[in-house]
Amino acid sequence: MNNLLTIFIAMVIINNMVLAKFLGLCSFFGVSKKLSDAFSMGIAVTLVMLIASVSTSVIYNYILVPYKVEFMNIVIFILVIASLVQIVEIVIKRTNIILYNAMGIYLPLITTNCIVMAIVLINSAENYSVLESIVNALGAGVGYTLVIIIMSGIREKLDLADSPKSMRGLPVAFLTAALLALAFVGFNGMV
Amino acid sequence: MNTGLIITILSAIGIVCGILIFMVNRFLPKEPESLKKTEEISGHLPGVNCGACGYPGCFAYAQALTKDKNTFFTNICATVLQEPGMLKGLGKTLGIEVDTSKINKKAVVRCYGNSGVIGNYTGIKTCNAASKLLGGYKECPYGCLGLGDCMAVCPNDAISIDKEMNVVVIDPDKCIGCGLCVAECPKNIIQLVPADSNIVYLCSYESLKNIPGREKCDVGCLHCKKCFKACENGAIIWNEEKAIPEFDFTRCTLCGKCIEACPHDRLIELSNVALKEKVGILKDKEKNKRR
Repeated sequence: MNNLLTIFIAMVIINNMVLAKFLGLCSFFGVSKKLSDAFSMGIAVTLVMLIASVSTSVIYNYILVPYKVEFMNIVIFILVIASLVQIVEIVIKRTNIILYNAMGIYLPLITTNCIVMAIVLINSAENYSVLESIVNALGAGVGYTLVIIIMSGIREKLDLADSPKSMRGLPVAFLTAALLALAFVGFNGMV
Repeated sequence: MNTGLIITILSAIGIVCGILIFMVNRFLPKEPESLKKTEEISGHLPGVNCGACGYPGCFAYAQALTKDKNTFFTNICATVLQEPGMLKGLGKTLGIEVDTSKINKKAVVRCYGNSGVIGNYTGIKTCNAASKLLGGYKECPYGCLGLGDCMAVCPNDAISIDKEMNVVVIDPDKCIGCGLCVAECPKNIIQLVPADSNIVYLCSYESLKNIPGREKCDVGCLHCKKCFKACENGAIIWNEEKAIPEFDFTRCTLCGKCIEACPHDRLIELSNVALKEKVGILKDKEKNKRR
């Protein structure tokens, strides 16, 4: 239990996917303009990472490791994640149209994002069990959601601020992200 | 290294994934019939997701229309109204007929400007921010601040700023009546009126009591009730609480008697003449500046 908690907290704030590992930056800057969009993006990323982690860690632990073909992990992970997200999208579309409207666009967007690929590769590199992989993915998702919500809140305020013309929009967002990353460095060595 | 084993594992996982997708696609209940209708309806909508109809996007609006087609009249899509082709297509799909002249609306800024300023405002250049600071920097607490929050949301570029009077003017020709500016204005002085109505009342000043500096705006409403008394058709209703005239556009015959009666010659106007003139003057000024 203690081990799981450590994995979770380390993933949320210390090894934060966006600010410490610099993964998923495209969606981080692309969708953080509005708070509501950022929130649905965070939820979608968390969901996809959970699905991907569960399926790939099962395959890794019970198929790839026993047959000693671990080097195949990238190819097989891409295959599995892509088809699973496809299935989830179909299921959501057929059963809950409101949910589909809320995050339908984001689901296929993140399928091929580096942040999803990274979390399953971290799982396999660290030899996490299935349960540990789930906690790891959940932590990464919560961390991503936390950071993108902070970022979108700041950017909504920044839009109103009287910043120099050449700095408006993305440049000032990059600076903000850098300062946020600096702040998150402060968590280093906590666990 | 066993190449055969690797190929088997990869293709087995691939085949399993393929079969899973096929099964899900085949055996889950198909999309309900209403969804197809919704998709057909949303094909006739502009797809700009402006939110002026009151729904969070064109698709949500299409869903509401599928459930009850009369939603079209209560939450009208202003963009569709402006495009006869689109309106025809949508009307056909929904099975309703739409008379545009009755629903068309336009927005009017109910302020003539010209109010004095309390001090020099140097803060964030939006009305929203300025109004939060002691209710704005103008003598008249109801006046237009003229910083252009409404300009930013206008989808059709119909709003321009009169720099001298510090007030915004809406071009009645360009306005599509979407109501986005009405929601945006922190002073609540933009009003939607029927597009074919000609009379506008250009003051939002409400009560005579408790407001200092009333005399600072020399074109403001005097609350003299002369327009109310002059109207023979009962189109002007006197709002006792706010002490301002309100117009019932269905009864107005455009006789112009209220305009004659008003001691301020610019307060009640034939909008399509006066506003167009004002917009024209503004455009000329801009042209001169560019030269």
